[in-house]
Amino acid sequence: MRISGRSFEHGNVLLCVLCTILVVSLIGGNVLLNCMTRYNVASSQVRSWKESLDAAETGGDIAYAEVRKKIFDPTHAFSGWTYSGGAYTNSPVTYGQDNLSTTSRVDPFYYDGNGNAWYRIRTKGTAPVLGLKRVGMDDRMGPNTRGDSLLRKIDFNYDHFVATYGPNGDGVGQTLLPVSQPQVSRRVELIAAPVTPFEAAIKAGGTFYGLGSAAYVDSYRSATGPYDPSVKTNPADPRYADSHAGTVEINGSVATIMGNIYGNLYTNGGTVTKKTTSISGIIDNNVPFSLSPFIMPSTAGWNYISSPAVINPNTTITPAAAGSADKPNYYLVNSFVNNGSLTVNPYTANGVPQETYVAVHVTSDIGSSNGQGPSITVPAHVHLDIYFDGNLQTKAENIVNTSGYASNLQFYAISPTDPNIQQTVNLSSGSGSTAGFSAVFYTPSANFTITGAPDITGAIVCKNFYTNGNIHWHYDRALDGQGDAVDYRVISYVEDIR
Amino acid sequence: MKIKSSQTVAGFTLSEMLVSLSLSSIVLAAAITSGVTLQKSFAAVDNYFSTQMQQIRIIDYLNRDVKRGLVVTTSVDLQSVTMSVPKYIIQAGDPEAIADPEAIGMARTPTVAYTTSGWQVNYSPSTTTVVYSISGNSILRTENGVITTIASSTDQLVPKSTDVELANTEYANTSVTFMPIFSSSGSVASRSGTSLYATAYLRNKRRG
Repeated sequence: MRISGRSFEHGNVLLCVLCTILVVSLIGGNVLLNCMTRYNVASSQVRSWKESLDAAETGGDIAYAEVRKKIFDPTHAFSGWTYSGGAYTNSPVTYGQDNLSTTSRVDPFYYDGNGNAWYRIRTKGTAPVLGLKRVGMDDRMGPNTRGDSLLRKIDFNYDHFVATYGPNGDGVGQTLLPVSQPQVSRRVELIAAPVTPFEAAIKAGGTFYGLGSAAYVDSYRSATGPYDPSVKTNPADPRYADSHAGTVEINGSVATIMGNIYGNLYTNGGTVTKKTTSISGIIDNNVPFSLSPFIMPSTAGWNYISSPAVINPNTTITPAAAGSADKPNYYLVNSFVNNGSLTVNPYTANGVPQETYVAVHVTSDIGSSNGQGPSITVPAHVHLDIYFDGNLQTKAENIVNTSGYASNLQFYAISPTDPNIQQTVNLSSGSGSTAGFSAVFYTPSANFTITGAPDITGAIVCKNFYTNGNIHWHYDRALDGQGDAVDYRVISYVEDIR
Repeated sequence: MKIKSSQTVAGFTLSEMLVSLSLSSIVLAAAITSGVTLQKSFAAVDNYFSTQMQQIRIIDYLNRDVKRGLVVTTSVDLQSVTMSVPKYIIQAGDPEAIADPEAIGMARTPTVAYTTSGWQVNYSPSTTTVVYSISGNSILRTENGVITTIASSTDQLVPKSTDVELANTEYANTSVTFMPIFSSSGSVASRSGTSLYATAYLRNKRRG
């Protein structure tokens, strides 16, 4: 009988143990379930969500690099990409141990007044969500509130974006596109804008010496009226702020500054040796920059005209069409003789002059050290860009830009490929002359020298700058958006959160 | 005779009963207490992790908007952030949507304009205003008047953001803290120990 009693007691213990194990298992299971949910969210979903943005931005970098090649290496820009429907697209690029992938689509959506293309870069980055297909999102904020699923859109079976908005997000071509494994895709849209060269009155990548002790650099904005020398000393004038933007930027360590600068002065860790200098703005000695060599832009699409090929005395160009900033009338000139005289007339329609766009590429020097030097005359309505491979030497009074808008006459010095060749630009106003000009110069590889005391409206970008004259230099603030693109920068970033 | 003898064996004395009852009460009380404590602890830990996930979500929401923000402004108490973001998507009520209802949800094409501050890219003449704020136990995101609760916890989630303006850019520093419910002391350390920090730069900072 005792055996029977003992058996009953053992069963009771077993029951207790089983119950305990059940309770502990329930708690353990609940803990594991919650841990898995958190783990899924933190380790898989959040990780994938962040990595997909990384992939999208990587695609943006890849596309941006191709856009920059349009300036620095035009023949290889978008090499290997597919061009269709006005847009470049690339094949998916896969990288990283998590097999992130990215694709990009680039289209020039806008051309500014200088003919520079603005590019829209749309990229998609995809990161796989590792593990099984679990809808384990952390959505438990309340009965009527959703959490992660509002923010993180995971494609478990189909690409929700393509199904709803189409592959390009424009509502065209919606389809059920199966995904091989759960994934998160994020999309960003970047705008790459051209960087134009004339952001300051004078920008020297090397050394700087000047100006004369009675010289000055000031500014104005042509959109608000013609230049008025009295504005810069009259704070009550509404144009006063625009008159103090005659900024000088020097990438050298030592700058010898004379005259008055109605603007800021930037150097690269340098020492400003002030003599008679008065600087109205700030002096910042920590503004480094670099000037990339300038290469001849692609002339594809330009309206090439074979004659004239030589600029002699009294050479006149009158185009048969107005052209446009991005498709100008294009002349290839192999000689610009020292006493050459070039006049470019506007195209007229019914006797009315039209805004006419002309580009001249001179493959030799323009002028030499002898004689009066070559002359260039640009009447109103003409927008002339001169590209030259060699040196430029003439007198300031030989540059005649009737409109007074510096952006209507632009000089671009194509950088020599031989580093031993030093390009030069020499402008002289002649003894005692104060005649000047309105023009801009982008000569990043050239030593730029101005002698005399010309009155100049415009901007200069050069390597080393030297002048000893009492120049009166007026920078037109409208120039900060003028000129050929010398680089690209991303100025807009939007994530497509659909 | 055996029956009598077995009855003697099966019985318990009063003292045995008292001792066993006392012991079993103690064991039961300990078990119940342990169970309740375990349950509380589990709930607290579960809540902790849940709130931690919400911290991440707040940061992710904020960073996404700051990155595409044109202007970001934080309130004096640092607990509210207001930002303008490009109106990239056509929404109901927009002029394009009125003209073509099928355009709702589609992306806009950017336009370019030259201003006194330089070139500007716009997706719409107006921008979208997004506000992050605290309401009770919830963190709210309000976009053009539409409120979305992006986080909610009894753990007193508190995001604090500071916008820092530099010469050429701007960034927003954000820290999100909460008070774990198993922290009975309510000390500062128990809140600061949960801090999650993030920094996001404005990619679209609008100058001028």
